[in-house]
Amino acid sequence: MSRPQIRQAPPEPEAAPPDLAALLSQVARGDHRAFELVYAELSGPVYGVVRQVLRDPAQSEEVAQEVLLEIWRTASRFDPDRGSAAAWALTIAHRRAVDRVRSENACSRREQKAAEPEPAEDDVVETVAATLEYQRVRRCMDGLTGLQRESIKLAYYSGYSYPQVAQLLGVAPGTVKTRIRDGLIRMRDCMEVTW
Amino acid sequence: VKAMRDDLHVLTGSYVLDAISDAEREEFERHLQHCPTCETEVRGLRETAARLALACAMTPPARMERRVLAAAHQTRQLPPLSADRPRRALPRHRSLPRARAFPGLLAVLAAAASMVVAVALGITELSAQHQLDRARATSIARVVTASDAHVETAPTSAGGNVTVVTSAALREAVVSSSGMASLPSSRVYQVWVLSPSGARSAGLMHGSSLLAAIRPGDRIGITVEPAGGTARPTTTPVAVLPV
Repeated sequence: MSRPQIRQAPPEPEAAPPDLAALLSQVARGDHRAFELVYAELSGPVYGVVRQVLRDPAQSEEVAQEVLLEIWRTASRFDPDRGSAAAWALTIAHRRAVDRVRSENACSRREQKAAEPEPAEDDVVETVAATLEYQRVRRCMDGLTGLQRESIKLAYYSGYSYPQVAQLLGVAPGTVKTRIRDGLIRMRDCMEVTW
Repeated sequence: VKAMRDDLHVLTGSYVLDAISDAEREEFERHLQHCPTCETEVRGLRETAARLALACAMTPPARMERRVLAAAHQTRQLPPLSADRPRRALPRHRSLPRARAFPGLLAVLAAAASMVVAVALGITELSAQHQLDRARATSIARVVTASDAHVETAPTSAGGNVTVVTSAALREAVVSSSGMASLPSSRVYQVWVLSPSGARSAGLMHGSSLLAAIRPGDRIGITVEPAGGTARPTTTPVAVLPV
């Protein structure tokens, strides 16, 4: 089942990714060239996570644009001592997407969306299937209990609050809080996240 | 108290996944400032959550890049936080009621920035000009972040480039230039809206110009004119762009 040639792929891609933290400090000084490179690096993950939460392509595009512009605007506030540049940016992206979901009458819109077939799912999977990160996340997700995995997926990828997740899974909110934390800790250790 | 703190500590995971209410978030962020253990855990879990995002990266539509890069040219950046101020545990992201609130937020931030400048210069009162600039910045931000924003860039015969961002829905456009040759004080660059019925002046070019009542098919022209501008274009445009 396991394919050694995939498993043994070098942990880092051959071409060293640009140093996002250094680029962000250039961006903070108004460097548009650096911002282009930041855009190239982050637009995919930003758009991907926003789209994952919002589903609607037009809305996702609008929110992703706002997020990327916010990265330009607030680059001076990024503090490399407090985490990676990607985490800083993707925190903004996820928060914005969730804000959008929870504002307005998001509930009715989501129900409507849920009723439709979701062509989005396929192309999401297709685009990411090849990436190394996806493989890692997938593998580490497999190591979680069912409740941990579902709680994390519903919270992060669907943008539900933990009480909503609890309701969907038919368990107590306190249980979901604990499972999300335990699951993430397990993911952190599995992916050897160092922070 | 112990039980409550344990309860808060368990929120680290839900906090980094944005799965808590605004009220809980505020309470938790207060708690974070006095709980180094929680902060360390939050950092690690936040990096973990970022991996979840990286795993679902998707190529955005190509037009997004042009829009974002153009919008960046029109958007003032926040100054760094001063070093002596206690830093928050995390950048604060207030929830936005609507996407349209974003230009509003920009305006507030622009206002805050101009306050800083005003204080620095010893000016105690915002002048009317500042108020106008603020309103203009808000309008410009609205155009460049519009969901139907369309971007055109062209080189000019006076060097550099001109960029026009148009929102058909708002019927507004923003014109900006970079790298154009500087003119003697007796000359100015003037912006025109060109339509089949003729040329309408959109004022002198300075920084970014906001153009109202734009119609499909209009073109934007820039000419060199005597200081103060003219009622009609008197020279061949250095650039003409469609909207």
